[in-house]
Amino acid sequence: MSADTVIATSALTKRYREVLAVDVLDLDVRRGEIYGFLGRNGAGKTTTIRMLLGLIRPTSGEVSVLGARIASGRTDVFAHVGYLVESASAYPNLTVRENLDIQRRLTGAPGTRTDDAIDRLGLAPVADRRAGRLSLGNKQRLSLARALLHAPQVLVLDEPANALDPAGIVEVRELLRTLADRDGVTVFMSSHILAEVAHLADRIGIIHDGRLLEELDREELHAKARAYVEIAAKDISRAESLLLGSGFSHVERGGDGTLRVFDAENRAPEIARLLVGAGLELTQLTPSREDLEAYFLRLTGGEAVTETASPAEGSAA
Amino acid sequence: MMLTAVLTTEFMKLRRCKVTWATLGGLSMGPLGIALFMWIVREPGRAAQMGLLGTKANLAGLEATWPSYLSMLTLIVGIGGMILLAFIVAYVFGREYDNETAKNMLALPVGRHWFVVTKLAVTAVWWVILVAFVLVESIAIGFALGLPGFSAGLVTGAVVNLLVAAGLSYLLVPVIAWITVWGRGNTAPIGFAIAMLALGNLFGKTGWAVWFPWSIVPLLIGMVADPVETLPAGSYVILALTFVMGIAATTAQLRFADNAQ
Repeated sequence: MSADTVIATSALTKRYREVLAVDVLDLDVRRGEIYGFLGRNGAGKTTTIRMLLGLIRPTSGEVSVLGARIASGRTDVFAHVGYLVESASAYPNLTVRENLDIQRRLTGAPGTRTDDAIDRLGLAPVADRRAGRLSLGNKQRLSLARALLHAPQVLVLDEPANALDPAGIVEVRELLRTLADRDGVTVFMSSHILAEVAHLADRIGIIHDGRLLEELDREELHAKARAYVEIAAKDISRAESLLLGSGFSHVERGGDGTLRVFDAENRAPEIARLLVGAGLELTQLTPSREDLEAYFLRLTGGEAVTETASPAEGSAA
Repeated sequence: MMLTAVLTTEFMKLRRCKVTWATLGGLSMGPLGIALFMWIVREPGRAAQMGLLGTKANLAGLEATWPSYLSMLTLIVGIGGMILLAFIVAYVFGREYDNETAKNMLALPVGRHWFVVTKLAVTAVWWVILVAFVLVESIAIGFALGLPGFSAGLVTGAVVNLLVAAGLSYLLVPVIAWITVWGRGNTAPIGFAIAMLALGNLFGKTGWAVWFPWSIVPLLIGMVADPVETLPAGSYVILALTFVMGIAATTAQLRFADNAQ
């Protein structure tokens, strides 16, 4: 744990009878960074977020936020924490403004903050509409406004882009980036929109079956993501056989009918010569690199490719 | 400062709330219903012509007099009030789970006990307004019916009896609040309240009525036996303990239990 640590968990564990939801999780989130917390459904993301906020008690281990240990009864630290857990929620009989005013009063924020939050999240057109009559997207904006209203130092956001349209996603992304870069706000966010996390997060933690599989920053992700050459051809099976027979040992067939040739960095011209020379009609040959989604799926055992051909199979074909 | 802020927000949550009007309508139906019975008893012929159950009302041995009206009022409003009060507290605490807002109020710079205290205060204010309205409504209806047998002492006695019953009923509220936060919703507390009333009725017939919290109010208003003039001090102690334990259990539930809504 460094002096810059804002959120730290130490051997954090949560067990529900037979189910181990979070298993000895050590996190270290630093000031002013955006930390993307990734995991499949049931991986333990929301349970972790709930423990960060003191909503559920760890079976063992500790959580500290801004240097304060989160324990039941400890509330002062939450003056500096804004959050959104799971689904957006609000009092349906109250207007957007009234819902935010409740948050303002409970956090002791000045009176102007309600309007600031309304403006910041683009809620002005619906400010006097009851929350029960909001679209899902606006309800999400309201929940984000609630999280931001008291100008917290730490934001804990569970799926912040949920229900937002593409423009809304970009807007929230820019807002979070600005908060982190300009105001030094630390953002801990989970998301299932991996491209979103890839765009936004400074560091990424991948949780699977309750355990932190990997923690990496952008550079590390780039270094670990495998380079490959993507090929589309009229006779893809023949192309596969040719490649496997020519010493390209790691050829995978993609779900979209393409071939991906790994371990082929800088060998695209050689591949092109091989296939064209064999009279194959190539329609695509693109040097590429795994994105976060592909890396995530590979790491968590959910490979996106559908078939893997071994060299032996290739030779036989 | 914090108490004021939390209390203000708890009252804000009732804006445009239909449940407040529904409870007012529900409880005010009690005196209206009794008034209808009184009218049927007094005008059986016209009631029969209109297809109302005049015969059954007469068979119940009712008299269209102030004493009869007040006695029935005490019974209906007392028991109806106990059930309605369970609805109110289940709503005040349970709406946070129905609206999925419980998670929003549990990681704030506000001690969770303040939510318990202020929600109980809101319930108390709501209850006081309902009881005051129903008392005024009941007396007005009694006069409008022109019932015989009025005396100021009689009405005052009935009002005091109802006020005591209303106050003692409130002491059971925190336990219902605890069941609400434990069950994270409205169903469990309402089921619990009805079950306790049934159990209270049963205990009332065994002679343990003065010791069982949910028998004491029914005993006072004459639901399970003839109304008692004075309850033993132990009954009040039990109700006070129920109140305190209910608050402690609700606070502990919010503070120490997992809130995985």
